[in-house]
Formats: sequence, structure tokens, C-alpha cells
Amino acid sequence: MPGAGRCPDCGSAELVEDSHYSQSQLVCSDCGCVVTEGVLTTTFSEESNLREITYSRSTGENEQVSRSQQRGLRRVRDLCRVLQLPATFEETAITYYQQAYRHPGIRTARLQKKEVLVGCCVLITCRQHNWPLTMGTICTLLYADLDVFSGTYMQIVKLLGLDVPSLCLADLVKTYCGSFRLFQASPSVPAKYVEDKDKMLSRTLQLVELASETWLVTGRHPLPVITAAAFLAWQSLQPAGRLTCSLARFCKMANVTLPYPAASRLQELVAVLLRMAEQLAWLQVLKLDKRSVVKHIGDLLQHRHMLVRMAFQDGSAGMETQEKEQQRQRQRQRKEEVGGSTSGSLPGKRPASPALLLPPCMLKPPKRSCPTPPISTVTGDENISDSEIEQYLRTPQEVRDFQRAQAASQAAVSVPNPP
Amino acid sequence: MLQGQHLPLWAKPALEALKKISLVGPEELSCLGSAGPPRIKRAVDKGQLHPSVAMERAPCLELYLDQCATQDGLVPALSPLFSPFVPYDVYTPNPSNPEMTLESHLEEIKETSDDFSSVDLIFLPDELTQENRNHTVIKSQHETEENSRTQNHQNKLPLLSKQDVELGFQGSSLSNPQAHLCPGPADSALPSPENPSPHTLPLSIAPMTPVAPASECSGIVPQLQNIVSTVNLACKLDLKKIALHAKNAEYNPKRFAAVIMRIREPRTTALIFSSGKMVCTGAKSEEQSRLAARKYARVVQKLGFPARFLDFKIQNMVGSCDVRFSIRLEGLVLTHQQFSSYEPELFPGLIYRMVKPRIVLLIFVSGKVVLTGAKERSEIYEAFENIYPILKSFKKG
Repeated sequence: MPGAGRCPDCGSAELVEDSHYSQSQLVCSDCGCVVTEGVLTTTFSEESNLREITYSRSTGENEQVSRSQQRGLRRVRDLCRVLQLPATFEETAITYYQQAYRHPGIRTARLQKKEVLVGCCVLITCRQHNWPLTMGTICTLLYADLDVFSGTYMQIVKLLGLDVPSLCLADLVKTYCGSFRLFQASPSVPAKYVEDKDKMLSRTLQLVELASETWLVTGRHPLPVITAAAFLAWQSLQPAGRLTCSLARFCKMANVTLPYPAASRLQELVAVLLRMAEQLAWLQVLKLDKRSVVKHIGDLLQHRHMLVRMAFQDGSAGMETQEKEQQRQRQRQRKEEVGGSTSGSLPGKRPASPALLLPPCMLKPPKRSCPTPPISTVTGDENISDSEIEQYLRTPQEVRDFQRAQAASQAAVSVPNPP
Repeated sequence: MLQGQHLPLWAKPALEALKKISLVGPEELSCLGSAGPPRIKRAVDKGQLHPSVAMERAPCLELYLDQCATQDGLVPALSPLFSPFVPYDVYTPNPSNPEMTLESHLEEIKETSDDFSSVDLIFLPDELTQENRNHTVIKSQHETEENSRTQNHQNKLPLLSKQDVELGFQGSSLSNPQAHLCPGPADSALPSPENPSPHTLPLSIAPMTPVAPASECSGIVPQLQNIVSTVNLACKLDLKKIALHAKNAEYNPKRFAAVIMRIREPRTTALIFSSGKMVCTGAKSEEQSRLAARKYARVVQKLGFPARFLDFKIQNMVGSCDVRFSIRLEGLVLTHQQFSSYEPELFPGLIYRMVKPRIVLLIFVSGKVVLTGAKERSEIYEAFENIYPILKSFKKG
């Protein structure tokens, strides 16, 4: 019997919950004495039969919506409206927030984390509906740190056990390029820089596909790649007037922040295009460089599948040929040192073998080789010599010196600067 | 004892081998008649079947052997008889393709009938088994190495499972079986057989190294990079005194409530707390971690505290390796979505949470793999062997 009360009249413990005209009462089954009645007020003797527990142990905490949760739910709705998301997204995001809030780790978290949680719920909703929203955008809107955001995001995905699909690159290209302010002439955008949206979009998409095929996208943030691709697409559509425009100026004109890695992505993409150009007969003779290749991007993209296959060899087979190449080069160097460069048997310049289709991090030479450590024969139970331990201990003299030095530095710190 | 009795076909090589180690005399061998399964034999006797044709009826042999097996419950015992190369079939609870085993083994018999010195000695009394165990172990090692190089063991693929690797570490008193499988780069990082298994093999079979066919073995051994261990010194410590008297200690109570101590050999760092608990990080092997922890305890002892060395436990091990080919992380996250987390906006690598063993792997596009969360070295090796075929399937972009 909950409440463990006793009847004040007969002292029996047999208390039964009964209702008298829909008012629940606690009645003693022996003598019929009404122990407690009513919900609105309780007498002192009645209260001794009630069981009181702390709020945190009651279910009140779960049933009520706390103020901070209400605030969080309001923030979720506001964020969805700001991003102009469909109505269904709002409901899903609200559900995720409520689900997350049930976990004690989230309920007792700091306000900063709860704020960031709002963004996480919206992001997960968008990802699940293939709506391209980047974490950077959300962090900017919430004035949040990407580190805090990433920690909360990973935690909540694990906590709720959600399946979050990857960012859809094609949709991201469309929304990101659509945000460029280059499609209408304005005071900041001269007429020759204005571009047709559809043409630019399609070419950017093709360039991003090419980048993804040639390992420039895996493991990297998608946005700089898209920026670089958009820039190349825009330049190639009217190279005559636009080759002089730099990436930074392009982004400024388009009213888009230039992501820092975009410059290096641009270099990589241009290098890939140059390799492809070497395979086209009518471009080989032109001896293109990183600027002039932009003029021919249209042609290169038209035949990109075939050119990529021709220009690059498979990474795995490539590793062996690369090693053989290096060996041959070393042998050639040795021959040159020994026999002089006048021997006719040395070939002049070997035709370049197809480049390796590998991510840039694998193509760069390793910064430092990590030799395998020698096999240690440590058993863990060896004797530890005293001298080895003594080397780590201070002599009494050193201890005194150290204490004196510490005291002196403390005194110097504590004395305020003379006025 | 064997006079007048026709032995089945599979017993003949066993007896030849036994003869080699001079346990069976030549007269016993001669009693082997036109051996064959009873059905075939009867057919041959009746003149219905030509003896040469009878030999080709190999599949019948499997059925016969299955019968024998069910009769005397010796299915496990049969497999080692045919091959010294797959002893751990014994332990698989479900010998999935016994017929296939036997078929492949039969082929082998025809080829290498001489190599069966490492034979199941279960028929012999224990003392004989004991004497010859070492004998057969040495021989089997040589044979394993020879045969793994010359022969094609693809038939054995389906029989080996993850359990084999585990058992290889538990049951074998030899060093890492993988070393035998893939000589080469594995040699430099062989784990030492630190804990001889307390329990012996359930069946008295000579411990032999399992062979995985070359297509399954990765040939790469992850290198341990960091070991984190804890130990209880079981006495309250005065951190100020430690920081004062030890040269290699730093103590900043406002920043962190522990003394940070470092030693040069093995190159490690320890966090020593006032409760007497200590965390030791930076060692490259379990033994080095233990030695380092003992050195720290000795330093604390020399400083005048009654430090002991209780409950040394390895809490975490980190390993890394390189598969040497590029990996399509986007593809991997699509097929293994329930285990993988790939957010290029946050981190360039893919985080793969393996369930068995419970290890977290960081997989990068360059093919480098970092494995962490292990309490035992074998978990890292097992996790890598599990992930390698998955990564290989994403090799071609």
C-alpha cells in the first residue's frame, strides 16, 4: 500500500484507496475512517499519510515542459522560418529536440550547448530530407563555434541513434551557386561579368563531378571545391574579359565569402584539367598553362570521361609504375654521374607516363619517413637500477635553490607595480 | 590387430605416416587391401564396378566419411587427419562445409601423401601423443611454410572464420600464426607470446598454425602507437612534495590537479594524483607500459612514500597502419551506414565503429587507418583483419 500510513483511529495499516462521488479518498478498511480526502487542501494529519518525494524523483520533470525547453523549441521554429524550410521540417526538428531533451545529459547541459542543439536538430532534419544546409551556415546564424557544434552534433547523433545521410553535393551546388550575385548587372557587377545562371550552374556541376572523380572532394570540405569550380565555370564561359579577374575579386563581386582552401582547390582542379588537355591532340600543340587552359574547359568537359580514363592510370597499378619510375630515375642519375652526359645510350627525355589518379595527399612525397621501430625485448619485469631513478630526483642543494627561486618569483609577482 | 580387416581409404596415409615415425610396423600396412568405402568395395567385389572407376567415385567417400563421423562423433578428428593446415576446424561450432573440406583434403592426399607426419594422433595412447607432439609441431611448421607458398589453399577459405584468429592467440603456444601466413613486412612487428595460454587444447592435437589463403590475409600488421594504463600506488601522495623533489615533474594545481611526470626510457608521461592513482601514457607496447609504470612507482617510492604497485591495467591501445591504396569514403559510408560516420565538413576521415571487436577505426582517403579503443593487442589485429576486405572492395574508384 503506497504511503505506508496507519489509520489514526484504530491504527490498522489496511488503507484502501476509494472514491466517493469521484473524489478519491484513503479509507481504513477496518474501521471505515476516512484518512485523507480531497485534492485541494490537506490537513496536517492527512499529509503524514501522503508520500512526498523530491521533484527530481517525481515524474513531474518529464511531464512538464521546462522553460529552457520551451525557449529551445521556440528557437527551433525561428531557425526553420529564417531558413525558409517547409513546414514538415519544423515538426521533425521539434520532435528531435524534445527527444534529445529527455536525456539527462542534455537537460543538464549548459545554455550554450542547448543553443547549439537547436542547430543540430535543424541540420539533421535537413540532411534527412536532402536539403543542402552546411554546418557553417548554421554556425553563422547561431553565432556558434564550429567546435562546440561538432561535439554536440556527434553526441546527439549517437544518443538518438539517427541515420544521417551525407550532404548532397549536387543540391549544394545549386543552392550555393544560386546565391551568387552575378546574374544581373548592378553597380558592383559590370556587364561583361554578368552570367546566365543555368549555363553557369551546369558547368559548375560538371566541374564538381570531375573533381569528385579525381579524388579532389573525398575528405575535404565541399564548399571550397564548389567555389573553385564555380569560378572556373564563370571564367570559361567568357574567357576573353574574365581571365584577369582573380578568385578573391570574383567572390567579392558575387557577395560570397571566399573560403580559405578554395585557392588550393583551384590549383588542383586546374592541374587535373591540364593533364586532361595533354590527351587532346589539338590542345597538345598549344602548350597550355594554368591560365590558357581555362579557355578550353568547355571542350575538356565535353569529353571528360574519356579524357580522365586516358590521362590517369589506375591508382593501384600506378603505385608500381611510380616505384619503377623512381628506380629508373635513380639509375639514370647514377649513370650520369659515372659515365658523363655525352653517352648516346641515354634517352633524351622519356615520354611522360600517365599520371596517377590518387588523392593529392598520396601524390605529395611523404614529409618524413616513419621507420618501423626496432623490436623491443622489454618484458616489463626487468630490474630498475637505482641510478636510473636517481637521475630524476633533485639533490637537497637543488631543492633549496629551487625553493628559493620559487619564493623569489612569487614575491616578484605579488608586489604590485610601483605607481 | 588389423589383419583381415580392410581399412577405409582415408586411413592409409595415416598409417603410412605412422610408419614413418615408426609406430606402425610394415606388416600392418600390408593388410590394406583394395580400400574403399564399403558400398564401392562391395560393388567391386561383385564385379559390377571396375576398381579404377571406383577410385573416381570420390564424392561417395565423403558420404561414407560422414556416416563414420556421425557414428563415432569424430567429425573434428577427421579433418586434421587430412590436413595439417586447418586444425582450427575443430573449434568452429559449425563446420559449415565438411564435404568441401574433405574433398579438398582428398585432392591433397593424392598430391602430397608424404607430408602427413603431422597426423592426428588421437588413436594412440597419450604417452605416445606427448612424445611426438613437438616432433610434429616442428615438421608441421616447415610444411606450412612450404605449402603456403607452393599450393593453392582457396578451398579452405569458407572454413576459417574470425574465431580462428582468436583461437590462434589463445590456443597456440607458438608465436603469432599470422607471421607464418604472410612473411615479409609482418616480421618486424611480431607480438611476443607473452601469456602462454593457461588452458590446453581440448583435443590432443598438435598445435599447428592455421593458414589463410593469400587472398584473405592482408599481410599488414598494425603498429601499436600508444598504450594508456592505470595503476594504484595505494597511498596518499603529497603532490607539492613530489613536484619539489622530482626534476621531471610539473604541477600546476590551478590548471590540473595532478603531477605530470615524464621519464626518458621508455619515453612516457604519467599523471599522478593525490589519491595514489596513476595514469601512464605514451608507451609503444604493453610491456613497456608496465615497465614505465614501475619506474614511476619507484620514483614515488624514493621520494619517501610507501608506494605499491596494485591493479595495473591497460585501459586503451592505439594502433595504426597503411593499406597503401586510396579509399572512396563516400562509398563506404553509403554501404556501411550503421557503423560509419563521415562528415567532411568536420573531419577528413571516416569514423567506423566496429561492433565486434569493439574498436573505433579512423579511415582516411590516403589509406591510413588508425585503430583505437582496444584493451588487448589481439582486438586491434582482429579489427584490422575485419576491415581490410571491406576497404579492398572500395579500392577501385
